[in-house]
Order: sequence, then structure tokens, then C-alpha cells
Amino acid sequence: MPEETKQKSLFEKEISRKDFLRTAGVVGGGVAVSVAAVTAARLSPPPETPTGKETIRDIPDFKTVEVNEKSDLLLRMQAELKKALAKPVEERKWMMVIDTRKCVGCHACTVACIAENKLPPGVVYRPVVQEEIGEYPNTQLRFFPRPCMQCDNPSCVSVCPVNATWKRPDGVVQIDYDKCIGCRYCISACPYGARTSDFGEYYTEDTPELQPYELLPNNEYGKSWNREGHSSPMGNARKCHFCLHRLNEGELPMCVTTCIGRANYFGDANEPDSLVSEMARQSNQIKLLEEKGTKPSVIYLI
Amino acid sequence: MLEKTYKNLSRIWAVVFAIGFIALVMKFLTGERLAGYGSYVPWGLWVALYFHFVGIAGGVFAIGTIGYVFNLTGFRENFRVVIVVSVAAVITGLFSIWLDLGQPFRFVRILYAPNFGSMMAFNAWMYSLFIITAGVIFYLTLNKEKQTDFHDKKRWMLPLMALGFLFSIAFPSQSGAFFGVVDAKPFWSSPLLPILFLASAITSGGAVLLLVYTFLHYEEFDLTHQPFRILRLTIIGGIIFYFIAEFAEYSLVFWSPNSDIREAVELILFGPFWWVFWFVHIGGALISLYLLLKGKTYQTVGTGAFIVAVTFVSARLNVLIPGQAVAQLKGLKEAFTHERLRFDYSATLNEYLIALFIGAFGVALVYFGIKFLSQFTKKRLGTSL
Ligand code: SF4
Ligand code: SF4
Repeated sequence: MPEETKQKSLFEKEISRKDFLRTAGVVGGGVAVSVAAVTAARLSPPPETPTGKETIRDIPDFKTVEVNEKSDLLLRMQAELKKALAKPVEERKWMMVIDTRKCVGCHACTVACIAENKLPPGVVYRPVVQEEIGEYPNTQLRFFPRPCMQCDNPSCVSVCPVNATWKRPDGVVQIDYDKCIGCRYCISACPYGARTSDFGEYYTEDTPELQPYELLPNNEYGKSWNREGHSSPMGNARKCHFCLHRLNEGELPMCVTTCIGRANYFGDANEPDSLVSEMARQSNQIKLLEEKGTKPSVIYLI
Repeated sequence: MLEKTYKNLSRIWAVVFAIGFIALVMKFLTGERLAGYGSYVPWGLWVALYFHFVGIAGGVFAIGTIGYVFNLTGFRENFRVVIVVSVAAVITGLFSIWLDLGQPFRFVRILYAPNFGSMMAFNAWMYSLFIITAGVIFYLTLNKEKQTDFHDKKRWMLPLMALGFLFSIAFPSQSGAFFGVVDAKPFWSSPLLPILFLASAITSGGAVLLLVYTFLHYEEFDLTHQPFRILRLTIIGGIIFYFIAEFAEYSLVFWSPNSDIREAVELILFGPFWWVFWFVHIGGALISLYLLLKGKTYQTVGTGAFIVAVTFVSARLNVLIPGQAVAQLKGLKEAFTHERLRFDYSATLNEYLIALFIGAFGVALVYFGIKFLSQFTKKRLGTSL
């Protein structure tokens, strides 16, 4: 008998109907459990962020300055911020509009952000991307400061294996440094390159002494983070959070406050009369890499 | 002669292990400071090794199971070797990815607080379940009337083997999906990726299995006999299939209007690491094809298998690195400059040395796994593994 035929009959002989059913049960069960686990995870709500009345913030009024239509944009936005904070967190939706025609590419926002969040070397939340239109010497420059887009459909969130990053009710995409294992999947998944990893470097490490300012804790997400001894956020993914710790105290994000050209607008998108909503309605607005389907909350005016 | 070869090999192993160990200690003392990856190319050599090793694990188990079920000579009586090698490869892969974590001591969170919607968590669970399943199968193989029998006494062998087989096929395809779900990287969003990963897993898994069998059975080494014959054919077929699929993908790209993918493929073929593709990937495959086709002694065939097992890591590297090396947001690289904010990546000496350590660790797991479990089976069954 040819060997092939012999093997086939052997195979048939060795597997009874009961074996077959048992195998189908185990394999089918395994597949069903896997599909259920993935589906449940995709549909499950994000980690708890406190909502409701307890999230209302009562920010004191300006006492020394009057805010009217002629006031500096920052004052108007500051006043609108106070109004937004008087609502529960789930009723606000933070949004940023950047007017590229007003941005002069000074990088002040980048530096201010580094100072505010005590960012170490290699970690940057808001670089200013330069676009050159035309060919030298007949060129024009355009600048796109690039914070985290706080996407409504963030590709960084679903890939996180430990739910260490999620979309908050106010639209900010948060990272819990205490949970993050530093796998950098989210960094790969962000099309904007908005996440960077903290590799534990210091600006003054090759000098005789580490400067004290580098050892100060930062206050991201309203907590005190001290990097000493490879503690978080060292080894973690980091990114812009619209200065959530400042917002909750009634202050605008550092980049907005610092901008010398007043090119940044910030506020509550749920408030149709806010300056930011007004600017977001302009016909010259664009979103970066819109084709990726991430639905960014940062809008550019061109 | 043979003893001398073994002695030399173990000396090389000891040197590699020792040097790699020093590099590993340095890594733990300095965190990630000595690694060459950054934030724009966040995954480097160790991640490629991780995918390579889990691919090997899947390939070894899949081939071993097919051989077992279809009763190819040499497979049933050697199935415990298949289990040891595939589990050792998974553990080595997991060790490799563990080293890559920024906060490695938090890895257990994946097990107790997973997000199954993430391919990383899903895979981590799958590997863990695979190790458990393989352990139970190992136990069942001890409960057979004869070693050439299909079933154990309670007949749970087939269902668990089928489950293990499903895992082993899923490993490489899931690895493809791991990348495929990342929309941000167009080069990774290819439906061919899981197939390429599967093909390379079967090829390199077959190579590792052939290598191990060669070491275990060099005295009866005869290429016309099983399992050598089938393994040799599997590797040769695997290499050829992989290159056909790869050619299909790359050649199509040059007609594609999607410049991101084209840019990535150009990087592979003509970028600064062109030699990885032409020398390691193509060159390594051609040499091993020659050795596997023409070789008659266990040394030549073993060398061919070794080359496949090692050089096929380039298949992973050539997916991993070029996919990350193309920026979606043009101008980002120049916007803020730092060593960690570059779109090119070269592994550092520390990464290479640790990669050698990882390889040596895998070899040690297989060697001591077989040795230790052989003593156990000798006591229980009177035969070695
Ligand atoms: S910009 Fe990137 S990091 Fe920020 S929310 Fe969107 S995908 Fe996530
Ligand atoms: S680096 Fe941290 S936040 Fe990002 S995916 Fe990994 S665990 Fe989640």
C-alpha cells in the first residue's frame, strides 16, 4: 500500500467522533472567549474620571482688570475658562485653535511648555513644525505648532495594553504614569508623533553638578511627579495634556499664555459664543492628517 | 572530533553569555540610556527579536503538531522536544520584550489589568495560555501507552494539541496584526504582513527544530529519513514562499501611488541599511538554501538551518524599522532636534550585546530544558526526552 494511503487511514482510525467533538469544543470555546474578550474591551468605558458636581471649580473673578471686547485676547479666554470650569467636567470640551498666519515661529511656546512641565532632554510636547512653500529663494514659511491633538478618536488609546491612557470627559487624552509600563505602543500609534518617551536624561548631566531646577517635581495631571530613582514619568510615554493642572486652577495652557503673537485660542468648544468656537468656525480652518480619522481637537487657521 | 566541536561551541556560548550579561547589567544600571531607539523610532532590535522568537515558537509547535497528527516518523516520539523548544522560544521572546519596557517591573499589569483591545495585551495572554497548554500536553505525553500512540489515556491530547496549534498559528499572524492595526504607519497596514510573518515563522521554526534534532540525533543523521527530510523541505519551501510573497509586495509598491510605502521600501532596498536586506536577508537565505539543498552531513545542514534561524530576524527588522522611519508629519524631525527624536535608527553596542545574550539565553533554556526534563522522563518512562 502506498505510504500516503496508509497514513490517511491511520489518521482516520485514530480520531473518533468523540475526539473530534471534544476538539471542536475546546478550539471553538477558545476562539469564542478571545472574540468576546476583545469585543468587551473595545466597548468598555474608559477608566473612571470623576464627573458631576464635585468637578465644578469656583475660580475667583478678576479684581483689578476689566474684561470687555477691547481686552487682550488672553483676558477674554481667561474669563471664558472660568465660566467653563463652573460646569461639571463632562459638560466642557477643551479645544485649541492655532492661527498659522499669526505664528512667527519663535518657539516660545515650545520652551514655555518645557519649563512648565519640566521636560527632560528628548521629551517635547509642542514642537513648532516649519513648512516651506515654494523654492528658495522664492519661498514662504508657515509654522504649525504641534501639541497633542487630543483626538476624539485617538489611535494611541486603544493600543495601550494596560489602559494607562484614555480620553477624559473634557476631551483631554490623559496618561496615568503610575500605570504606564513604557511599552511605547502608543508612541508608534500616534500619527502626529505627539508622544515621546522619557529616557531619563538631564540637561545638566555632563556638567559638574545636576542643576536643582532639573530635580524639581512637575505637576502634570495635578500630581507631583519626581523622576528620581527611575520613578515615573521616567520610562513612560509623555505628551501634551493642554496643561490640565493649570486649567483646573483657572489658568490657560502655558503655550497659550506665552505666545507673543496671540496665535493660540483656547477654550470650551461646547460654548458656541466662546472665542475658540468662533475661530473654529472660520472657513480657512484645517486639521492635520484628517484622513487618519483621529478627529483632532486642535484646529489650524491657514 | 565531535566532542571538540561541542567543547568549542560551549566555549563560544559561554563567552557570548558572559559579555551579554555584562551589557545587561549595564542596561539595568543605566535604564534605557544605552539604547539607540528613541521616540520617533520607538522600537528597535529587541522588539524585532521578540517577534522573531515568538515566530520561532509558533513555527516549531505548528510543524511539530502536524508531524504528530499525521504520524510522520520521528515526530510523536520526539514531541516533548517540540514542546521544550517552542516554550523556550516564547520565554526568550518575552524576555526580549520585557527588556524593552521603560518600566519593566510593571509588566505584570498586562496580566492582571489587561486591555484586550490592544494586540499587545491579547498576545501576552495568548503566550501565557500557550505555555500552560504546552505544559499540560507535556504531562499528557507521559500518560500514553506507547510513545508512538496518538492519544493519552484520557484522550485529551488532540483537543489540547489543536488549541496549541491554533495558538502557534495565531502567534505570527497576530504579530502581523500587531503592526497592521497601527494606521499611523502605512507600511505596516498591509494584509500580506500576517502571511509574511507566518511564512517566516514556519521557516525559522523549521530551521530551529532541524538544528535541535541534528544535535540530538547526529549519530543517526540521515537526510533521507524523517524528521530531517520533512524539516529540510519545509525550510526550503518556506524560504522560497517568503521571497515570492516579499517580491510581490515590494514590486507592487513601485507601481503604487502611496509614497509613504514606497519610501519605506526604498529605505529597505537602498537606504543606509541596504546591507541588511541584500547581505543578511537575501545573502543569508541563498547560502542556507545552498547548504540545505546540497548538504549531506549534519554539519552542513545544521549550518544551513542555523543561518536561517539567525538571518530571518532581518525579515522582522525590515518590517519594523522602515515602518517607523517614515514621518507622517513632514518637518517634525527638524522641529525639535535631539538624539532621541530622529527617524533613523541604528542599534547600539549595548543593544547588540544584549541581543547576543538573549540568543544565548534561548539556547540555554533549550539545552537545560532538554537535559533536565530528560532526567525526569528517564525516571518516569525509562527513556530520555
Ligand atoms: S495626537 Fe496622538 S497622542 Fe494626541 S490624542 Fe491624538 S493620537 Fe493620541
Ligand atoms: S507606553 Fe504607557 S501609555 Fe503608552 S501604550 Fe505603553 S503602557 Fe500605554
